[in-house]
Amino acid sequence: MERSKTRKSSLPYLLILPTLFFVAIFTIWPTINSFYMSLFRQRLNLARFREPTFVGIENFVNLFSDPRFIQVLNNTIIYVIGTVPLAIFLAFLFAFLVNQRIRGVGLSRLSFFHPSILPMVSAATIWMFFLTPDYGIFNEALYFLGYRGPQNWTANPDLALISIMIVALWKNAGYYMIFYLAGMQNLPTEVFEAATLDGASTWQKLRYVTFPLLRGTTLFITTIAIIGAFQTVDQIFVLTKGGPSGASTTLLYYLWQVRFEFQDVGKASAITVVLIVLLLLFTVTNFVLSERGED
Amino acid sequence: MQTRKIVFVVMVILLIGLLAACGSTAPAEPATQEPVAEEPAAEEPVVEEPSEPVTIEFFYPVAVDAPIAAIIEGYIDTFEAENPHITVEAVFSGGYGDVQTAIMTAIDGGAEPPAMGVMLATALYDLINADAISPVSPSDEYLADVFPAFLDNSRYDGKIWSVPFQRSAVVMYYNADLFEEAGIEPPDSWDSWAAAAQALTVRDGAEVTRWGIEYPSGWPYWLFQPLAIGSGQNIVGESDTEVFFDDPDVIEAVQFYIDLSEEYGAMAAGVQGIWGQAPTDLATGLTAMIVHSTGSLTGLLDQVDFELGVMPIPGQTAGTFASVPGGGNIYIMKGAPEEKQAAAWLFAEFLTEAERVADFSIQTGYIASLNSSYKTDAMKAYLAEVPQAEDTKNALQYAGAELMVQNLGEVRNIFHDYLQRAYNGEMTPEEAMAAAQTEAEAALEIFK
Amino acid sequence: MQLSKDGQRRRWNTKKIFAMLITWTIALLWAVPVLWALVASFRPASEPMGRGDVWFGSMLTLDNYIKAWSLAPFDRYFINTVVIVTMVLGVQLVTITLAGFAFAHYEFRGSKILLFVILLQLMIPTTALLVPNFSTIRFLNLYDTRLAIAIPYFGSAFGAFLMRQAFLEVPHDLVDAGTIDGASWWQLLRHIYLPPTIPVLVAFGISSVAWHWNEFLWPLIITKSDAARPLTAGLVRFTQLGEIGAQWSLLSAATLIVAAPLFIAFLFFQRRFIESFVHSGLK
Repeated sequence: MERSKTRKSSLPYLLILPTLFFVAIFTIWPTINSFYMSLFRQRLNLARFREPTFVGIENFVNLFSDPRFIQVLNNTIIYVIGTVPLAIFLAFLFAFLVNQRIRGVGLSRLSFFHPSILPMVSAATIWMFFLTPDYGIFNEALYFLGYRGPQNWTANPDLALISIMIVALWKNAGYYMIFYLAGMQNLPTEVFEAATLDGASTWQKLRYVTFPLLRGTTLFITTIAIIGAFQTVDQIFVLTKGGPSGASTTLLYYLWQVRFEFQDVGKASAITVVLIVLLLLFTVTNFVLSERGED
Repeated sequence: MQTRKIVFVVMVILLIGLLAACGSTAPAEPATQEPVAEEPAAEEPVVEEPSEPVTIEFFYPVAVDAPIAAIIEGYIDTFEAENPHITVEAVFSGGYGDVQTAIMTAIDGGAEPPAMGVMLATALYDLINADAISPVSPSDEYLADVFPAFLDNSRYDGKIWSVPFQRSAVVMYYNADLFEEAGIEPPDSWDSWAAAAQALTVRDGAEVTRWGIEYPSGWPYWLFQPLAIGSGQNIVGESDTEVFFDDPDVIEAVQFYIDLSEEYGAMAAGVQGIWGQAPTDLATGLTAMIVHSTGSLTGLLDQVDFELGVMPIPGQTAGTFASVPGGGNIYIMKGAPEEKQAAAWLFAEFLTEAERVADFSIQTGYIASLNSSYKTDAMKAYLAEVPQAEDTKNALQYAGAELMVQNLGEVRNIFHDYLQRAYNGEMTPEEAMAAAQTEAEAALEIFK
Repeated sequence: MQLSKDGQRRRWNTKKIFAMLITWTIALLWAVPVLWALVASFRPASEPMGRGDVWFGSMLTLDNYIKAWSLAPFDRYFINTVVIVTMVLGVQLVTITLAGFAFAHYEFRGSKILLFVILLQLMIPTTALLVPNFSTIRFLNLYDTRLAIAIPYFGSAFGAFLMRQAFLEVPHDLVDAGTIDGASWWQLLRHIYLPPTIPVLVAFGISSVAWHWNEFLWPLIITKSDAARPLTAGLVRFTQLGEIGAQWSLLSAATLIVAAPLFIAFLFFQRRFIESFVHSGLK
């Protein structure tokens, strides 16, 4: 960009200083600090382990030899892989539906979008009822549809993780829809007209015109959805508390538990490091994959 | 050139900011753990009534079906009227675990902890190991008056560390009308219990319209203990570093819980996270029996339109019963300033006066922890009207010790984890309990 | 924009009805949870729900709202939430505008690296760093304050980047004209860069408010008293009430109290909410 370089001065540095300052204090420094503290043993709930002792990579060795932590990692990855593509699919579908020229689009758009301005704890509280055995609406509906399996969603090892994923999907799909909607409304109309003249069906237009043109949007949504998925824990506090037997414990919830329930600072720092590495891994991979797909 | 200089200065400032943050937050974290407590105490060893106005925070949980918040606010009003210079701010902080986590996080965050809190009676060792609580000194009359079973969780190292507040026991509530209709006597053994539960289960095709029994297991150790005790072996013994998770009797108890659904079809399968719903479910006829806390008695009596039965948990052999005490004690937090601790103790004593203990019991269903409370007129009148309250108290005579060992948070977590795996059929009871025993022993190792 | 997309579709009437039915059905299903909460919150607490009886009770009552309000100081939570959200947004608008302007308008040494450093915040969200940040807050002596909840978000990589992109789209000739007229950086920003990018700021503002209104975990751990606690952390106590009996009506009321202000604002400004998203270049 050959924007103005009117004068060489310190001004641009001063202008970004406030942002840089807060990013340094609350992102860069804590990242470094986590790496550092992960090499120490420090447990605040036991007076004798309160002073940090250097233990090298012991925290990591312990973590990765602990089946409970492996379970947490698995849950997290299932959660991310299970919610992100589905949320994006739903977002695309919703955006397509409300981008039609039919009656009731405004209300439908409202309906799809409204969960995203609800606090996650509120959403989870409502779903707590929906998932109640016997008379919860979700269970009643499933029963009506012929489902006869277990109804204790939040306490069943096979369903607990799914139930927190359902809440996340319900809440987030509408939010991502907005980005697709923005993308669709900014698409050039000529392409569609040409496609229509060529006799393309609605499906073909979606598949071969809309979706490819919205690749950038999809990349953006995928990225924020992945980062978001790693961060969602609120509904776990309300619905399952990570149970049963850790079946719905994800990385961030586990991090909270280790740090604030068990007050193990060293282990919590090690978990933070793992979380950071995973976040970078996922976002970079996602970026690289979609870059490659573009060629 | 000048530009560079300015940039340099800016960067230095930034760096200093960073370093300042470094210097402190690194390993130095715990250094100033409880500076407030070290402050010089008042000249005289704290007298009854501090004259300076003082405000104390009181963290408490709500764990049963009773309007605890309103009751506590009422007590505070009376207390503040009697002690005008003390203001009590009651803070409802979730369940028992939430209260403890909130208080520990506050200490950890460098803030002054609340002067007092209600936490699990069994949290004693965890709180002492974290150096979070101060010992208390109840009067001799009080010590002579309180039920010894409720003081078991307060003694350590020759001192008293807490006073019983909302104490409970595990009991079974049942719909006596249904029992009578079906011509079934209240059970007195595992066999008759399972048979009754089976007989009272109603199905409409494949759909269960009424369960024989609801037995919550979302946070299961407490409700499970009566099964283990009834089977012949409690999961905890005399020592504070020993558990008996893999004892054959305990395994049998796990199997019995599973059998209630697997073999008798009288209970929903797997872990039941229904602690909150269970009383309502009994009241609305969704189940014929529930296992719950005595603390839910009053709430239940308000809801039911049938004869409510209350009894201890049947044991394995005919004629035996079991229960386990539970609930919360009042702790005084060490990190609070002396004068606040003194005011907090004043409030704790106020809460544990005989009439108030009786009143709290009447309003909630929690068991009054003092002998003298049962001699008050209010209590006598209440017992005459609500005979079930007598039953809850009587359950205590069958009680074994509640799980309390060193490193309780972790040990309890391990036990929950594997108990739920067994309930959910992910492991056999033998495998699960063996694994729980091994891990718990490892977690207790450093405390031996 | 919305108009004239594909006028031909008008012809396919059966197809259109079909599309309408599908859209409406899914939309209705999506709305059931909140609709239920709304209905349930007016149901008398004395009428416990049971199988097939979870909607209206025998009458409508406000008791649940009154009781919820009496059980927790929602007014204080509400003020706290508003203060926190305003604090975050106020500071963010300044920091992101300045940073976005610097990155868009100037070329300076290290700009790429500095931008990358700031963008790290996008990939390592603040939530993931709650353990070290807790220590920092403790060091700053801010534990249990509203500032503690807000301060980690004062710098926003997302916002800075967004503004940079938006400013880059401002036509060059305008900027050049301004520069030739000898406008100071402040005048350039104020009169040339900002006016066309207001929608972007609004869109950012909306998502910032929505995000911080709804945030839960960080406020939960960084506060202990009602003096600093926001609505979400207050609500979770009520979900613990789940432990004291299935008081679904009360829970619904508490849930809606927490969600209502933002929700009502949303209903009123629905179009602007969504339009500003759509036209902000958030894509």
